[in-house]
Amino acid sequence: MLWLGVIHCVVWFPLSLVIAEEVEPAFNRDILPILSGNCFACHGRDAHARKADLRLDLEQAAKAERDGEAAILPGEPEGSALYRRISSKKASFVMPPPESNKSLTPDEIKLIALWIEAGAPWEDHWSFTPVTRPALPGVAQTQWPANPVDDFILERLEREGLRPSPAENKITLLRRVTFDLTGLPPSLEEMDAFLADVSPQAFERVVDRLLASTRYGEHMGRYWLDAVRYGDTHGLHLDNYREIWPYRDWVIRAFNENKPFDAFVIEQLAGDLLPDPSRDQLIATGHNRCNVTTNEGGSITEEVYVRNVVDRVVTLGTVYMGLTLDCTRCHDHKFDPLTMDDFYSLFAYFNSIDGKPLDGNRKDHAPILKIPDAHQAEQLAEYDARVGQLTKRMREPWPTIDALQETWEADLVRKEQAEESGGDAQKEDGSLVLGDWYVVGPFYDNRRYLNSRKHGPEGRPVRLDETFTLATEEIVRWKKRPDWKDGKVHSDLPGQTAANFLYRTITSPQAQKVEVSLGSDDGIIVYLNEKRVLSNNVSRGVAPDQEKLQLPLKAGTNHLLMKIMNYGGATGFYFALTSGETTIPEDVLAIAMADRAQRDPEAQAKLVEFFRSKVAVSDELEAVRSELTSVREKRAEVDRGIPTTLIWREATEQKPAYKLNRGEYDQKGDEVARRTPVFLAAMDANAPNDRLGLARWLVDPNHPLTARVTVNRLWQQLMGTGLVKTAEDFGSQGERPSHPQLLDWLAAEFMAGGWDVKAMMKLLVTSSTYRQSSVLSPALIERDPDNRLLARGPRFRLDAEMLRDQALCLSGLMSEKMGGPSVKPPQPDGLWFSVGYSGSNTVRFVADKEHDQVHRRSVYTFIKRTSPPPQMSTFDGPSREASCVRRERTNTPLQALLLFNDPQYVEAARALAERVLASGGDTVGARAGYLFRLCTGRFPDSEELADLISGLEQDLTTFRADPASAAALVGGDASASETDTDAGELAAWTMSANLMLNLDEVIMKN
Amino acid sequence: MSVCSGTEPLVGLSRRGFLARLGLGLGSAALTHLLNRDALGTTPADRGILGHPHAAPKAKRVIYLFQAGAPSQIDLFDHKPLLKEWQGRELPASVRRGQRLTAMSGNQTSLPLVGSPYAFAQHGRSGAWLSELLPHTAELADDLCFVKTLYTEAINHGPAVTFMQTGSQFPGRPGMGAWLSYGLGSANDNLPSFVVLVTKDKGGQPLVSRLWGSGFLSSRHQGVRFRSGKDPVLYLTNPMGLNRQDRRNMLDHLKALHEIQLEKTPDPEIEARIAQYELAFRMQRSIPEVADFSSEPESVLKAYGEDVRKPGTYAANCLLARRLAERGVRFIQLYHQGWDHHGSLPKALPKQCRETDQASAALVQDLKQRGMLDDTLVVWGGEFGRTNYCQGKLTAKNFGRDHHPKCFTIWMAGGGVKPGISYGQTDDFGYNITEKGVHVHDFQATLLHLLGIDHERLNYKFQGRRFRLTDVHGRVVKDILA
Repeated sequence: MLWLGVIHCVVWFPLSLVIAEEVEPAFNRDILPILSGNCFACHGRDAHARKADLRLDLEQAAKAERDGEAAILPGEPEGSALYRRISSKKASFVMPPPESNKSLTPDEIKLIALWIEAGAPWEDHWSFTPVTRPALPGVAQTQWPANPVDDFILERLEREGLRPSPAENKITLLRRVTFDLTGLPPSLEEMDAFLADVSPQAFERVVDRLLASTRYGEHMGRYWLDAVRYGDTHGLHLDNYREIWPYRDWVIRAFNENKPFDAFVIEQLAGDLLPDPSRDQLIATGHNRCNVTTNEGGSITEEVYVRNVVDRVVTLGTVYMGLTLDCTRCHDHKFDPLTMDDFYSLFAYFNSIDGKPLDGNRKDHAPILKIPDAHQAEQLAEYDARVGQLTKRMREPWPTIDALQETWEADLVRKEQAEESGGDAQKEDGSLVLGDWYVVGPFYDNRRYLNSRKHGPEGRPVRLDETFTLATEEIVRWKKRPDWKDGKVHSDLPGQTAANFLYRTITSPQAQKVEVSLGSDDGIIVYLNEKRVLSNNVSRGVAPDQEKLQLPLKAGTNHLLMKIMNYGGATGFYFALTSGETTIPEDVLAIAMADRAQRDPEAQAKLVEFFRSKVAVSDELEAVRSELTSVREKRAEVDRGIPTTLIWREATEQKPAYKLNRGEYDQKGDEVARRTPVFLAAMDANAPNDRLGLARWLVDPNHPLTARVTVNRLWQQLMGTGLVKTAEDFGSQGERPSHPQLLDWLAAEFMAGGWDVKAMMKLLVTSSTYRQSSVLSPALIERDPDNRLLARGPRFRLDAEMLRDQALCLSGLMSEKMGGPSVKPPQPDGLWFSVGYSGSNTVRFVADKEHDQVHRRSVYTFIKRTSPPPQMSTFDGPSREASCVRRERTNTPLQALLLFNDPQYVEAARALAERVLASGGDTVGARAGYLFRLCTGRFPDSEELADLISGLEQDLTTFRADPASAAALVGGDASASETDTDAGELAAWTMSANLMLNLDEVIMKN
Repeated sequence: MSVCSGTEPLVGLSRRGFLARLGLGLGSAALTHLLNRDALGTTPADRGILGHPHAAPKAKRVIYLFQAGAPSQIDLFDHKPLLKEWQGRELPASVRRGQRLTAMSGNQTSLPLVGSPYAFAQHGRSGAWLSELLPHTAELADDLCFVKTLYTEAINHGPAVTFMQTGSQFPGRPGMGAWLSYGLGSANDNLPSFVVLVTKDKGGQPLVSRLWGSGFLSSRHQGVRFRSGKDPVLYLTNPMGLNRQDRRNMLDHLKALHEIQLEKTPDPEIEARIAQYELAFRMQRSIPEVADFSSEPESVLKAYGEDVRKPGTYAANCLLARRLAERGVRFIQLYHQGWDHHGSLPKALPKQCRETDQASAALVQDLKQRGMLDDTLVVWGGEFGRTNYCQGKLTAKNFGRDHHPKCFTIWMAGGGVKPGISYGQTDDFGYNITEKGVHVHDFQATLLHLLGIDHERLNYKFQGRRFRLTDVHGRVVKDILA
């Protein structure tokens, strides 16, 4: 029995210590972790780090003869260089070398010896082999298993000489399953109904009811949002607001509709590539946009681009495959069969978005989708229809107006002829000719210098053939923009935190002053004939008429140069002549000059449009014109109020991807093509080699990882720890599954059942394993402190969101409203401000006020990533900056302070006290029992009741003697006076409720 | 805040180890203390993952005065008279050597050199050069160790500050204070072992709470931020109308209920919870006490400067840091923002110095007088340096300096660092290091060394690899050790 002794001491791999029967070390379970943790760094896949040209990660290489001996000679430890080195006492000979700070324990060395003795059998890494459905193991207690989950659990328990715990009592079980499927505690009515239902199907009915509740999707979605790192801000630098909550609502909806998990994956990764994608499928692609982004001044665009794509690839690895792809950004993976080529080949699937890497500090960082609600959609349709009618009217033949136009045209021709014959002589009137716009830019600079420094063509005559070199070393030229019409806002200037220059000529027949109306986003400088005539360094959105300016034109050609300076976010300009005779654009004038019969219909229509909208004076026309303007304004207003959401849209041209030396953005190596990692089965040759193909490959039944990783997370959610504890790492450095057969059975079942998440949840919660009592015994704590063997039911602290939702729910405060923009319940002052950049639009936290906002479930709470809500982070809620598939569960005094004193918990305690006073009966005992039962599900025993009451009575005495303090605690509003309660009584009950919300049994899932 | 969780290795299967592994939070010190008080005497028993340091520590605690935004070493410490001679002339290509610039000055057609307008003088027996902007610091020159050749890899604030504090430019790693809490545990019963103080209302480049986060370590190692005002720690104060006795009453009855529950389910988690509630209760007293300066003599307040009377100022935080250090807090991290002088440096820099110079010096002096400087390491410095050339327009009265990662100056005092020396040399342009460069990872390795920790042996296995503060780099700068 030497073996037992050996195994028992392998402390860092605790599961080994309970394997009693297998007398031979198993490669994957026992040997690989030792080799991987101690040897592969220098004798593994990474060719650059490899020492002595020796590989121990490949069976053939490890067993090959080198200089007369092999590292591993099967059957002969003493004849194996590996064993002699690891067991050596000589510092110069021993492996791993002392300077590596790694060393093997005597037991590990013994394990290696035993394994070599047994012939050094090699196995593939467990998680990389395809899933096959194992047969159910035989068990002795055949009555216990309720479903196959239990056969696997029981088989192991029997092997360990352990017995399952008895079934959990009904109330604790109801509370457990209600939390696990909805994130909320059961109501008193639900408890009574379950207790009253003595049929064998009672529990299944409860499970079905919970799975059908919309609370289910909110709860399940929350875990997913951790994994995909959903947040309401961009996460870096200014950390401005990001609008992507429709994606969060999509996730919740998908769980509630029980969208099959394979479709769930495909739509999120590649919804846009599906044929004729629905709005929902596009919203789902917000999944690929959840990475943190920046717009920090000085950022190098290429660097940010690479960082964004890397983040997507790394998250893909963690969430779907349990692979630590991040390692392969800079070098081949030291432990798993992943290479840098694999990494950048995956990179190539996620680098071609039709949008810019820098987020512009905008909430709607393109590409985006507008998500009008039904009412907004209806309004838009209505306005569009009316605009259509009116525009049509404006184009239709209109005898009275057409007659006016003929006269006007004739007049124009006559004037023009007169002018031509007059040569250089002065024109008869002041008609101006405005040349087309030209633009050059964007000239990037620090915002504080955009205004003060000369850029590009500033300060000298404009030459349209001149080229300019930008900070990015890009070369830009003047570009003609005949499409920019006057009197309209143009928002398609390039670049952010940059200056653009606009140039045009204005030809005037004589020296004259004309008035122009200007708008700009943000600052503007205007030069007329190289002389500065306006400078306004402001921050604003663009609109007409922000500036009125008199331009002193000289006769002949004038040169107008405008500098538009953008300090971040959107940019744009507006220009219109507001005085003098209507100017006629050159192209329109040309049409008018042409013979009527010669004009093509398009040109004629253009002339008609110009005449009717700008020139004609007619009441009947004016009526149409003004209605058109007003309808368009109304439409624009509705449009501005429509929420947007970040989505993925593939760029029309695929961006080339390169292997980046050491992961550096500016160290481009070879170009790489899209492909999946070589060590996994390749994508179906007929599949499109894009994200859609990639997504389908992930959920292909042959893919060894996706189903395993997913069911493991569901298990972890319910039991507290995954079958694979390292839910984020299924590679050789991750922990092996505690029940490998069960994991495979579940994965196979999940896929065979059509990736049905609700069915899987139902299977798990209806197992006898899940339904065991969670009461601990000292022996069990000693034997299996982490409950990895599942000889008892799960017992662990509720997550942050569940704690807060529970308090809101028990107190009756919780709003059941679903979806919509994220909400901001109160939090302590100054948290955002202390980390915020003064220019950020999330620098100041302003709490919401409405019941529907402050009392919403926590999944809807606004997450500012650089300062997540303390109610979440204090209880280990992640910041959502990076993917998190496993939260830790700490127990700190800061948590105690939060539960004591957070105003929202105090408010909940008070509301709970009011509820007790209103509905808990008339005696102190009845009320205390009611309070206790509301919170725990059960009635207190006499000792507990006595404690609760004695605390209450002490508080009653104190607060009745000090009504001012009582009033301060329960607030001065009238809600208390509606019952026959004095403030002292309410205050005392508030403290009892506060106590209950701090009770271990209430904080824990039992 | 934690980015995500990791797993801590088991530290053994003894009762103590077992309890420690349950994630007892800040109170693990307190709990194990309570449990072991009789057996082990009065020393708190949470010794962290290392149990005890690798070597006898010179420093028992650290006060890190972080000057966020990057102070100009050229105008404060690194005296370069040549720049004045070259005033307005182009930065020679032979000096720049094609080094990358930020996108802010990278598009300037001209990079005119600009000398410091401030008078420099040598101070103390050591003859350290300091500019006239730091008169108080100058008086202590013989107590300080100036490292003039720190260099970093990052060129923008976010990554650079993260690099300086966590050893990586990317978010997700633990900060120095969290590493120390993980490695060495807590040295007191009533306060967190890692406290963060940020100067109030400074603004400027943002500070992110991840800088004092625990990354993949347990969140019990994260820094606890003390705020100025009525709640120095979030939710510390009882609600209106509830006094300490009322809270005690509630806790007594809560404890009674927990003990009943413990009889039914002997879960150590419940014991831990009881202990954490008690620690929370003690913190409600100990934290306001440490933040209350009324017991400080007038002479001390005067030494730190008038600002010390306003909670949340840099001066007040310096004094608070000393009080926390006295009470066994191991790592006290101050942040003072506002050093990012791209333009208008002559206007902004003197103001920053006025806010920090006197109190920084007073802190060192105060520690010295109390005999605490010997085992307290004080560090003053930012995340990178500033350029020797002007960003923006150079005029007779105005200039600015861009980010410069290739060299910058920090100072250290006490805690086993050689006093009265200047270490390392930059070229006459103050652009490149000519000898004795100290990489950020070297600085971090040295800091850990002073605390008795071998930086290569304090690591944590997460997602398949062993992480450490110095990544896979770092060497101890032996020349500056006392």
